[in-house]
Amino acid sequence: MDFYFGLIQLIGVHTLLGLSAYVVLLTNQVTMAQAGFFGIGAYVAAMLTVLADFSIVPAILIAGFAGALIACLVGFPALRVKGLMLVVATLAFGEFVRLFFFNFDYQIAKGEIQVGPLGGEGFRQIRYFPENGWTTGDVALFVWVFVILIMAGLWWMDRSRIGAVLRAVGEDELAAQSVGLNLTAVKVSAMTIGGFIAGIGGGIYAHYTTHIEQSNFNVLLATFAIAYPILGGLSNVFGTLLAVVFIQGILVEGLRFMGDWRNLLFGALIVLAMNVRPRGLLDERAMMTLKRLFSRG
Amino acid sequence: MDDFLLELIYVVQSIVDGILFGTTYALIGIGFTLIFGVMHKLNLAYGAVSIGGAYASLMIFHLVPSPIVAYLASAVATGAFGYLVYLCCFRFLPLSNPLAPLMATVGAFLFIDEVIVHATNGMPEPYPSVFDEMIFFGEFGLRSDLLFVFAIGLISMLVLMYVLYRTRLGLAVRAVSQQPVAAELCGMSQERTNAITFVITGALGGVAGAMIGASVGVLSPLLVAPITIKGLIVTVIGGLGSIPGAIIAGLAVGAFENLFQYFRGVTERDMYVMLLLFLFLTFRPGGIFSSSIGRD
Amino acid sequence: MAENGAILQLKGLSKNFGGVQAVDMLDLDVPQGRIFGLIGPNGSGKSTTVNLICGVFPVSAGNVVFGGRDITGLAPHSRLTIGVARTFQNIRLFNHLTVWQNLWVAQNGEDDKAGQNFIRRWVSGPGSARQQVEEMLDFSGLAHRRDDLAGNLAFGEQRRLELARALAARPQMLLLDEPAAGMNMEEVGQLRDRLMKLRETGMTILLVEHVMELVMGVTDHIAVLNFGKKIAEGTPTEIQNDPLVREAYLGTA
Repeated sequence: MDFYFGLIQLIGVHTLLGLSAYVVLLTNQVTMAQAGFFGIGAYVAAMLTVLADFSIVPAILIAGFAGALIACLVGFPALRVKGLMLVVATLAFGEFVRLFFFNFDYQIAKGEIQVGPLGGEGFRQIRYFPENGWTTGDVALFVWVFVILIMAGLWWMDRSRIGAVLRAVGEDELAAQSVGLNLTAVKVSAMTIGGFIAGIGGGIYAHYTTHIEQSNFNVLLATFAIAYPILGGLSNVFGTLLAVVFIQGILVEGLRFMGDWRNLLFGALIVLAMNVRPRGLLDERAMMTLKRLFSRG
Repeated sequence: MDDFLLELIYVVQSIVDGILFGTTYALIGIGFTLIFGVMHKLNLAYGAVSIGGAYASLMIFHLVPSPIVAYLASAVATGAFGYLVYLCCFRFLPLSNPLAPLMATVGAFLFIDEVIVHATNGMPEPYPSVFDEMIFFGEFGLRSDLLFVFAIGLISMLVLMYVLYRTRLGLAVRAVSQQPVAAELCGMSQERTNAITFVITGALGGVAGAMIGASVGVLSPLLVAPITIKGLIVTVIGGLGSIPGAIIAGLAVGAFENLFQYFRGVTERDMYVMLLLFLFLTFRPGGIFSSSIGRD
Repeated sequence: MAENGAILQLKGLSKNFGGVQAVDMLDLDVPQGRIFGLIGPNGSGKSTTVNLICGVFPVSAGNVVFGGRDITGLAPHSRLTIGVARTFQNIRLFNHLTVWQNLWVAQNGEDDKAGQNFIRRWVSGPGSARQQVEEMLDFSGLAHRRDDLAGNLAFGEQRRLELARALAARPQMLLLDEPAAGMNMEEVGQLRDRLMKLRETGMTILLVEHVMELVMGVTDHIAVLNFGKKIAEGTPTEIQNDPLVREAYLGTA
């Protein structure tokens, strides 16, 4: 049973990661930075609970705000320029975060042992959940409360003017400008919202894996982050969730047949998927078809 | 006073070393920028195929223990891998959707990275180099292996210039990059030209990969991501689509990187290179020269 | 507004693209509340002029003055806020948004921003949107298509939507870049009626166009460009009889 709870936690956290990229992708900006914000959220939340004895929910919320703040700062220079620059800038930022934590030590003594992040060795003993008697089932539920809240928020956003404005900018920047939309403001806002969601995801992640290190937040994770919404299609949030289940499901199954080679499978899967369905699994046409199917039945 | 002079010499030394090694970054930057100029897309798998080609050349090296042969093999192998990337990530994808090919190249990047890791069990493999000694002018030392890298890099760039500006092939590449539709109407197949561009840049990347292996002494899968990112940084700083920009930026990034390493050590050095990029994006987002190939 | 009643003034406006002088020392006064035509052979700089007025390209020299205010350096999106709206030669609708959403996102005029608080303007769903979107839909005859994706509309409907979207922020001046391209005679007639109705509401219209029936039938005043320079200016009748204009279009015999 623990195995399934673990899988549910993983899917939940990866859904948050994917949703953080979804918001930015709506504006047609490809961001490889979400893993970086995720990592920042992880370290911030873990440091708050382990080093400053924070309770879990405030720690995660602060992690979210940390992600949002950094995303805003990174966004400003990177979003004023062509979209392809953003890919480069966010890749560089992601590496920067990874290297930063590789070099980051901050330990304090708790009783007899030293706790806190220790450079390349990472941050061990993030034991808030076990120390407070949470079962794996409790944690899984906790993760999904956040996921559902954020999905609901994004679903609402998609129906509001914010959602339409994000998509308008994503669709045609020249036209968006001509109807009075401030491109930089819209794109930076999307980035900031994404940073918040990623920070929350990271904060949760740190606590259920209990041990984080810089190599967790690498290009592979950044790829997962954008693969989910791209594969799932950008017309609504459920596509991303579907993609997470699909990809993680395949990878978990792939583990059985291919063992350590499953990342190979992941790379090949992406190439294949892009050739076969460039607009994602649940693109607008698929959604229209689904709508028609359901309204008839 | 003597200490200060010595310090100065070491600083200049690291700058010079950096510039010499920076030719590899310049070559990778040129590769990225050339593909961008012709297809208006980034090929994120480019760094991976370059290192992959160098690995492939190691297999040739075990058969024919001549470093020069290995370097050539690396160029050929990467050219072939480049063509494969073109087939898998660009050829059949709708050109109007920029997201899909980008994503596909990321997939290819991960795929190649994993193949390398598994083929070598994650262990670094020694790579042959040609010269080893240091040439000394008093206290000032010049690394002859880096001089060799610089020379090879220079020759590669000259060959590229010749191909681009003195052959019909190069003319086709430049024509397609400026006006793809018109070029097609004049009988130049866009597909063929794109494929050829991938092969040419592949050859360039293979040389870069080999030179990186030669100067570092080993090849390691850990090289793939940093080389990709630094190559992209060079492309952006130089200006997307500008070959001279990539060359200057490559040498500059090499120099700065080594300088950072001298003052702050190797684990922190890359962080500052990233910051350099952000500095550029904030103050000079067009890069040193903005697009000279490729116009809309 | 300038003393001579001009809402838009171009002073010495110039733009070159790496050696090609697209617009050359253009002086133009567009009177308020009138329909002003801008014509000229292909490549004469008409579209570039529109792009300069809207801020899509930075000017190489000269000034753009709107409502008495120099907007030469103003960001493109801000120009909409102060009252300059445009349509595009190749329709640029938000194809994957619905007709309704296309109009909704365009409500960025000054009074739009002042009139609603943050919640109503951004967070609330479609139900809270202003009467104005409905009015726009009725005016352009698109109410029955409100939930369809803009990309699925027929060509004529798309043109109507693009015009409606430009009007969504209630601008003071409308820049129309070849709105009649691809239209049949009946559609041109409908467009003409719509433009005349707009003029009655006090709207200023700058019309870049090739379709002469429309230009001659609806404009009050015309300027003719050739190779980026203004070669003639006057009423439709004067322009039709101007030998320089004839030469520009037809060449010397």
